[in-house]
Amino acid sequence: MLKSYKKFGLLAAMLVLVGGCASTQDEVYYNTQAIDDPFESVNRAVFDFNEAVDGAIIHPALKGYRAVVPKPARTGLDNFLNNLQSPIYFANEILQGDFDDAGTVFVRASANTFTGFGGLLDVAAYEGITHESEDFGQTLATWGVGHGPYVVVPLIGPSSTRDYIGFMVDGFADPLRWYLFNIDEDHIYYTRTGLDYLNLRNNLMDLLEELQKSSIDYYAATRSIYVQRRDAMVNDEDPDANMGPAIPDYDDF
Amino acid sequence: MRFHIILCAFVLSLATVGEAQALDSSRFLAKTATMQPSNSLYQTVSSDALQTDAEKFIDQMANEAIGFLSNGSLNNTQKKARFKKLLKSKYDMATIGRFALGRYWRTASAGEKKEYQALFEKMIVEVYSRRFGEYEGQVLEVRSSRKDSERDVTVQSFIVPDSGPEIQVDWRVRKKDGRYRVIDVVVEGVSMALTQRSEFASVIQRGGGQVSVLLEHLNGN
Repeated sequence: MLKSYKKFGLLAAMLVLVGGCASTQDEVYYNTQAIDDPFESVNRAVFDFNEAVDGAIIHPALKGYRAVVPKPARTGLDNFLNNLQSPIYFANEILQGDFDDAGTVFVRASANTFTGFGGLLDVAAYEGITHESEDFGQTLATWGVGHGPYVVVPLIGPSSTRDYIGFMVDGFADPLRWYLFNIDEDHIYYTRTGLDYLNLRNNLMDLLEELQKSSIDYYAATRSIYVQRRDAMVNDEDPDANMGPAIPDYDDF
Repeated sequence: MRFHIILCAFVLSLATVGEAQALDSSRFLAKTATMQPSNSLYQTVSSDALQTDAEKFIDQMANEAIGFLSNGSLNNTQKKARFKKLLKSKYDMATIGRFALGRYWRTASAGEKKEYQALFEKMIVEVYSRRFGEYEGQVLEVRSSRKDSERDVTVQSFIVPDSGPEIQVDWRVRKKDGRYRVIDVVVEGVSMALTQRSEFASVIQRGGGQVSVLLEHLNGN
C-alpha cells in the first residue's frame, strides 16, 4: 500500500484537509478510526426520505423484479455489470500500487469476457480467482485520506465525503462512459447506470430489511456498519488490520 | 453504483439470507480466502494450544448450531431453546453486553444494569431466532486463527454455501477461568459488538443520556 504517497497530487492534498478531523466520540468509535457526523440531523432527514422511497417504490419494484426474473438471470446480470466495472477496478489497483491485484482484475475480466459469455458467468471465481471491489474512495484511503464527515446521499444511501468524491471520480473517469458518449450512444450508458442501481438495490434489499427489523436505531446501525465495512475493504490486503474493537476484561459487573 | 454495495452481509454466521448469496459477497471477501499473505499473523496450522483449542471450540459450536438448525423434527420454539442454551454456554454475554453499553455502563444504576443485561440477551435471542428458517445447509469451515493476547484468539472461518460466494466470519474467543467463550463475531469486517454499541450509544444520546431510554426501547421490541 502506498501510505507514504500522501502528497499525491492536489486532489489528494485537498482531501487530506477535508478528512483530517478525527473524532473521539465514543458512539462512532472504531478501532483508532472514527467518523464525524456533524450533519446528523440533515443526514437523518435524507435517511428517512430514502427509507420512505424504498418502502413505497423501490422494494415493491424489486419484489416484482424477482418475481419476473429468475435468480440465475439476476446473478448473470450482476456478473455482467460487475465485469463492466473492470477498467475502474484495474485503474484503482494501479493507483493503489497493487500490481498483483491489477493483474488479477485483468485475468478475471479477460476470462469472464471471453469464456464467460461476455461476463454473464463469473468463470474466474470458479477457478478461485475471486472478485474484489476497488474504487477511488478506497484508493484515497490508501493514500492516507480520512473519511471526512459522514453523508447520507439521497436515493443512494450511506457514504462519506471521501467515498462520495471517489464515487464521482470513478463515474467520471469510467472509460466506458467516455467511449459511449463519443459514439453518441449515451442511452446505453444511462441504461447501464439504471441497471447498476437496480442490481445494487436488489443485492441489498434482504440485508437492509433484516437490519431495519432488528435495529432500534437503524440510522446509527447503518452508519456503524458502513464505516466498518469500508475500512475492511480498504484493508483487504492485510487481514490483520481488521482486529475488531478492543474488548476489555471487565471486572465492574 | 457498485461502489455503494457497501453494507455488508450483516448476518448471523449460520443463517445467511438467500438472496445475500447472489450478492456475490466474494467481492467483499478479503483476499484471505484464497491468498494468505505470507506475513500474516494468521496461522493455518496452529501449534499454540490456545489457538488449537479455540479453533476446536468454534468448530464444535458450529456443529452444535448446525445440528439443531438442520433438525427438521424441532419446531421453532425448540430451536430457540437450543439457541438460548448455546448462547449461555458458549458466549460471554455479560462481557458483550457490558461492551455494548460502552461508557453508559458507569452511569447506569445497579437495577438498570441487571435489567439491561437480561433485555440484551433476550433481544439477541429474538433477533436471531427469527431467522432460523433461512438456514439452507451452509457449513462453517474453520481455516485459521490468530493469537491476539495470552487469553484472546481470533478464529477465522468461512460460511460455505452450496453455491455462491463464501462469507468470512471471525470469532473472537476469550479463555477465562479455563473456559472458552465468544466475545465478538466479525462478519466480513463488521463487528457485531461494535455495531450494537454504536446503536445503543446513539439511542441513549438522543434520549438525553439516559440509560432508561434504551431500556424502554429494548422492552418495546
